[in-house]
Amino acid sequence: MATGQSQVAVQYDYDIIKKFAVMSLVWAVVGMAVGVYIASQLAWPVLNFDIPYITFGRFRPVHTSAVIFGFGGSALFATSYYVVQRTCQTRLWAPGLATFTFWGWQAVIVLAALSYMMGFSQGREYAEMEWPIDLLILFVWVAYLAVFLGTLMNRKQPHIYVANWFYLAFILATALLHVFNNLAMPVGLFSMKSYSLFSGAQDAMTQWWYGHNAVGFFLTAAFLGMMYYFVPKQAGRPIYSYRLSIVHFWALSFMYMWVGTHHLHWTAIPDWTSTLGATFSIMLLLPSWGGMINGIMTLSGAWDKLRTDPIMRFMIVALSFYGMSTFEGPLMSLKDVNALSHYTDWTVGHVHSGALGWVAMISFGALYHMIPRLWNTQLYSERLVNVHFWLATIGVLLYITAMWISGISQGLMWRAFDEYGNLQYSFVESVAAMHPFYVMRAIGGAFFLSGMLVMAYNCYMTIRQGVRSARLAPAQTRAAVA
Amino acid sequence: MAESQEKPQGPQTTGHVWDGDLQEYNNPLPQWWIYGFYVTILFALVYWIVYPSWPVGQGFLTGINTITYVNSQGQEETWHWNTRAKLLREMQEAAAQQRPWFERIAQMPYEQIVKDPELMGFVRSAGRALFTDNCAGCHQVGGGGKIGHYPNLTDDNWIYGGTFDKIRETIVQGRHGYMPPFAEALSRAQIDALAHYVLSLAGEPHDATQAAEGKNLFHSHTAACYYCHGDDAKGRQDLGSANLTDRIWLWADVPSATDVPSKVALVRQIIAGGLNRGNMPAWEGRLSEEQIKVLTVYVHQLGGGQ
Repeated sequence: MATGQSQVAVQYDYDIIKKFAVMSLVWAVVGMAVGVYIASQLAWPVLNFDIPYITFGRFRPVHTSAVIFGFGGSALFATSYYVVQRTCQTRLWAPGLATFTFWGWQAVIVLAALSYMMGFSQGREYAEMEWPIDLLILFVWVAYLAVFLGTLMNRKQPHIYVANWFYLAFILATALLHVFNNLAMPVGLFSMKSYSLFSGAQDAMTQWWYGHNAVGFFLTAAFLGMMYYFVPKQAGRPIYSYRLSIVHFWALSFMYMWVGTHHLHWTAIPDWTSTLGATFSIMLLLPSWGGMINGIMTLSGAWDKLRTDPIMRFMIVALSFYGMSTFEGPLMSLKDVNALSHYTDWTVGHVHSGALGWVAMISFGALYHMIPRLWNTQLYSERLVNVHFWLATIGVLLYITAMWISGISQGLMWRAFDEYGNLQYSFVESVAAMHPFYVMRAIGGAFFLSGMLVMAYNCYMTIRQGVRSARLAPAQTRAAVA
Repeated sequence: MAESQEKPQGPQTTGHVWDGDLQEYNNPLPQWWIYGFYVTILFALVYWIVYPSWPVGQGFLTGINTITYVNSQGQEETWHWNTRAKLLREMQEAAAQQRPWFERIAQMPYEQIVKDPELMGFVRSAGRALFTDNCAGCHQVGGGGKIGHYPNLTDDNWIYGGTFDKIRETIVQGRHGYMPPFAEALSRAQIDALAHYVLSLAGEPHDATQAAEGKNLFHSHTAACYYCHGDDAKGRQDLGSANLTDRIWLWADVPSATDVPSKVALVRQIIAGGLNRGNMPAWEGRLSEEQIKVLTVYVHQLGGGQ
């Protein structure tokens, strides 16, 4: 085993993966800490201290960008570079460009966070970055596509492994979405401010075509790619069904593009667009579940690993949350359910059961699997992985339960009429009723963050261990390679 | 790895191997998965038949579901299902439910409305909804007000009067509370003397000598406080000047201050700086005549209507 790893350490381009993996951990800690802080602001508004830079409105996109693009994005860069090299049996094409994607992407996150705090925002959810940052993203993304495609083309394997299809779909779709959603005219060459090329209902529909496909391709397809490599690797078993992977890949890619309008039910968009959004969301249910089935069934016959392997447990629980939130999503996209859930915390809970339960947990599993192999060492502590697992699971459950209760009560309070046909509650009464659940949500977030800190410590110790043994025994390593 | 050495039983792999041990079985699609997928497609087809769905040429398939509502000319119209008509119909249904109540209230004098328990049930419901939407932003839910900002509407102390007509006038016209600043007209010592007198009127701890001096000033032409607050210092509702002889404080939270100097400081600030913040907007035009009437009765019954 050790010899095998020494060989791959030389064979593949690991430096860039290491950088992204470390930054993924850093952004996870930063992004989740900001998340817990703004969740606490909602429970105790005094925490904004009247400082404009850290108020909820400005910190919220800092949180979403740091966790989605900082943590999630870096984890995707790291794992995609790892997976594409190992399954194509070749080094990265154009390592210089790959290095540019690292520094470019990190600059994007830092600049985005700073600009939000200074008050610059396009006001487009998950695409708040103003135009200069959008251009930088574009350059980074084209470089990413080039590196990934170049590596695929240089492969020493006749077939392209399924994980790579998902990664490639994610890269292509993100490029498309990013470009069209951010078409805007800057006010001036030296002004951060710009105005969208679209207006009114078209603007809203473009934004949510982007917004939901960011969920679909960035937060789903890409992480399914991650799942398709790391679950069978960690389980040591073949993927359950090649056929299922093909069918659900194409069904998922086709269906997702249609569903954005379900974010705009009961607004000024044409009714027929709303219907199409709802129905394609329903038809998306089974294609989404295809990934879950393939992941979970891969473990069939090796269920004992759930007891013995905390990393496997992360992956399987991630797939369970994935299954749950891809069931909840279509349900919420029906017009009548949406009439209750829209604008409430239910949506926030739904996003987090996907983001914490699926995206973060599958990334934790992948990083725990990958980091010891990158530094050619063993994981510092499996017990700490287990501690992290429980902190994270309790955290997600607290979070989504709080948001279900609060969201559904909000929805019910807003539409409650008394026997005279008058509204029973004012808006502010519904806000007051949310308080206990906002506290509960902040506590759930704190659990999740503390688990993340445990992970950061565990990974730091693992890396330190790896660096030390590499320094102590360079001779042996070279000997082993030879 | 040990597992990869095992000969897989049942389904065969595709024969592709990546990265040492990465393989794929070629299991068939699960039956329930395929049929589940067909069911969702069927569901979508039904949904497309019921609701407006696919764009066709300049228009779109309207669906078989219809909705009937009353248009602006008062005629009934039936359209294919659409959110605008649905909203209109729901608003019209709610309005129709409330119309008989509003009509009865519009015709009745205030005194009779309050004696009718049935009507008052409606007033408490509709008034509460109107109040929480329009008034609670300042006067708080329940009308308790906020010391230093907005008057309490649940007690029997009225700045502009608590009769039905006066409450209605306040809602219709809005109010603007004003007291001129005295920092330039009076010396610091004179203002402090007045502050002690005002404290004495409200039964707050004070310095008796200074209060006596303040009393003289209050009734003198120098300060002329009596001009607005009245000889008895009980305020004048026609001017909206405060009654200084009760223990109700709106602009300065004197009861919460612990010692005499800080109580004096709070009153001094008002005498010296005056007041120009009691702005309540006019609601005429924003609320209908019937709504204002319901609100008037609602505020009147909150506590101490006169």
